[in-house]
Amino acid sequence: MSKIHVAGLKKSFGSNEVLKGLDVEIAEGEVVCVIGPSGSGKSTFLRCLNKLEDITAGKVVVDGFDLTDPKVNLDQVRQHIGMVFQHFNLFPHMTVLENIMLAPVELKKLSRPQARNKALELLERVGLANKADARPAQLSGGQKQRVAIARSLAMNPDIMLFDEATSALDPEMVGEVLQVIRDLAAEGMTMVVVTHEMGFAREVSDRVIFMADGFIVEEGKPEHVFGSPQQARTRDFLAKVL
Amino acid sequence: MHTLQRAGRRLLALTGLLAVLSLVFGPAAGAAVQTPHSASGKSYVIGTDTTFAPFEFRQGGELVGIDMDLLRAIAENQGFEVEIRSLGFDAALQALQSDQVDGVIAGMSITDERRQVFDFSDPYFDSGVQMAVAENNTEISSYEDLEGETVAVKRGSEGEAFADSIADEYGFTVKPLDQSATMYDDVKAGNSVAVFDDYPVLAYGIAQNNGLKAVTDKERGSSYGFAVNKDQNPELIQAFNAGLAELKASGEYQQILDKYLAAPETAGQTSFWELLTDSLPALMKGLGLTLFATALSIIIALILGVAFGFLKVSRRIVLRGIATTYVGIFRGTPLLVQAFFFYFGLPQLTGQPIDVLTAGVLTLSLNAGAYMTEIVRGGIQSVDPGQMEASRSLGLSYFKSMRKVVIPQAVKIMTPSFINQFVITLKDSSLLAVIGFAELTYQGQQIYASNFRTGETLLIVAALYFVVITLLIKLSNMLDKRFNK
Ligand SMILES: Nc1ncnc2c1ncn2[C@@H]1O[C@H](COP(=O)(O)OP(=O)(O)OP(=O)(O)O)[C@@H](O)[C@H]1O
Ligand SMILES: [Mg+2]
Repeated sequence: MSKIHVAGLKKSFGSNEVLKGLDVEIAEGEVVCVIGPSGSGKSTFLRCLNKLEDITAGKVVVDGFDLTDPKVNLDQVRQHIGMVFQHFNLFPHMTVLENIMLAPVELKKLSRPQARNKALELLERVGLANKADARPAQLSGGQKQRVAIARSLAMNPDIMLFDEATSALDPEMVGEVLQVIRDLAAEGMTMVVVTHEMGFAREVSDRVIFMADGFIVEEGKPEHVFGSPQQARTRDFLAKVL
Repeated sequence: MHTLQRAGRRLLALTGLLAVLSLVFGPAAGAAVQTPHSASGKSYVIGTDTTFAPFEFRQGGELVGIDMDLLRAIAENQGFEVEIRSLGFDAALQALQSDQVDGVIAGMSITDERRQVFDFSDPYFDSGVQMAVAENNTEISSYEDLEGETVAVKRGSEGEAFADSIADEYGFTVKPLDQSATMYDDVKAGNSVAVFDDYPVLAYGIAQNNGLKAVTDKERGSSYGFAVNKDQNPELIQAFNAGLAELKASGEYQQILDKYLAAPETAGQTSFWELLTDSLPALMKGLGLTLFATALSIIIALILGVAFGFLKVSRRIVLRGIATTYVGIFRGTPLLVQAFFFYFGLPQLTGQPIDVLTAGVLTLSLNAGAYMTEIVRGGIQSVDPGQMEASRSLGLSYFKSMRKVVIPQAVKIMTPSFINQFVITLKDSSLLAVIGFAELTYQGQQIYASNFRTGETLLIVAALYFVVITLLIKLSNMLDKRFNK
């Protein structure tokens, strides 16, 4: 059984249909990159995978939980799905350590000391052990995003969602964040990565999905989608961004 | 406030007759001192008004005035004890009817209606309307001089009735105002050329250097009497009449009247410092009530604001509607109307009397609560929605996310608005003076109603507000800095 199963997913904002029927299967340990022009529905798709957006029609099954079933405890499901945002969304009133400890402590996954050790360990992993007591405002963009990743890893998720995690960063900081994602991929984390970094998508992904106008236009192995795209829309898009 | 109730028809013949009777029977009543039904040696509780200068008012915390001095002198003369309760005019009459007091002396006109329920003493004072102008005015000395001018009167008073009755004849305009002090200020400011007011009130004002002088003789008016419940405590009425007759005979009666009504021999106005020290005890009491009502209201408003603020950001349209309606009503109507409604309107609708503190706090807290609701809504909505999303994506519930992530940030944003609302509510509490809530502004009004030093008294009142508010803002900012770094 696939880790993520999406069938006939439609999403409308009022009368504006943004997702027009998506079917996607993602296997455990698979790294899928989603690319496409601005406004094509990439973020909306990603946000449907942990139901930050209400689903208009279709089915989304994650980890065996049907998100469209009103009886499913979403908070429970979300604990297993980490999400990283373009604008970091760190909690500015907490220190770096408190940001990371919040969920495990509040959701009673770990005791305070355990959560603290776990947080320090994660900070070590993203290379920010010395920033434990800093406030988010004192960090650079790249550092903020690495803390945000550490924060979502604190709940030991088995799926990670990235929505343009490097788009808001200065160029010299993109690399450090991509490295963390790359490491996660190497560890076998199931990941859906929305990105504008075509080189990175090509390098890290097992599969690339190209979206346009609310549809999946083309998908396949990165060397196929980037090397010999079958659809005119894909070729147009790649010609513009590469 | 209760000049209407005071307004009585003059019963000249009857008054005269009573005066004669009192002269005839007075000594007899005095001679009956030793009978078992005598007032002598007994103790009576007497109700009176709060402030009706020169009949009763407070001076340095002490109840004084013609009524008070007269009553005490009569009690001493007749050998009985009195305990005076300063209740307010209407409240004193109600207390009498429900036997909570034995008698009432409150500058009360003897009227036919009141005779149905009360037994009155002999009249102890004959009132009447008189005209006064500014001290330095040499042009107006008779009704004829009023042609084309404006005169000030007290709304609902006999002065107003009299002025209205001759306005057409002499061709002047009548301008009704609410308080004696305001009327006198209106004349001094030149907005009106003259006032028509009860002669004792006017005479007292002039005696207090209110800057006016009387220029006409007093018109015929009503007489004041001391009252007990019908057919109860007849010995008290007898004793009062007897004592009154003796005081009149001894000249002490005239001395008491002169003390309050005679023109001042010297320009003996007390200094500003004396005014300050005299008025401070009452003003501090008022300030205490102001702070108490404000603090209580703000706490309730905060609870209301949080509750309705959350409804306002709810996804459910019905809940939002409830909050929007509440805010709409209390922001969309004047505070003064709300105060009148809760104090006068609500008891009529429910049949439940409401005390002035409850009505006042209800008004302030519901009103401030509406503004707090908007502050809370604004605070929550000004927190980046990404914060809520990040927290939800970690698996925290809506309420946990609110409590741990959104509210701490919202509170920081809201704190300056909270402080601001606190100050506004404190200042708004002064409006409750109109329903007789004895807060700072009300106390100020009471003071200049008896000493006519409106400007100076209001300066002291304003200074007290200013100091308290400045301190409050300083304190709040300090706490804000400390907890919202
Ligand atoms: N909350 C919302 N309300 C209304 N319309 C929305 C909302 N979120 C997204 N949309 C619309 O849905 C469409 C798809 O948006 P989405 O953010 O998914 O695109 P995207 O592919 O992520 O674009 P980008 O590359 O710019 O991030 C856009 O037309 C956008 O205006
Ligand atoms: Mg997007």
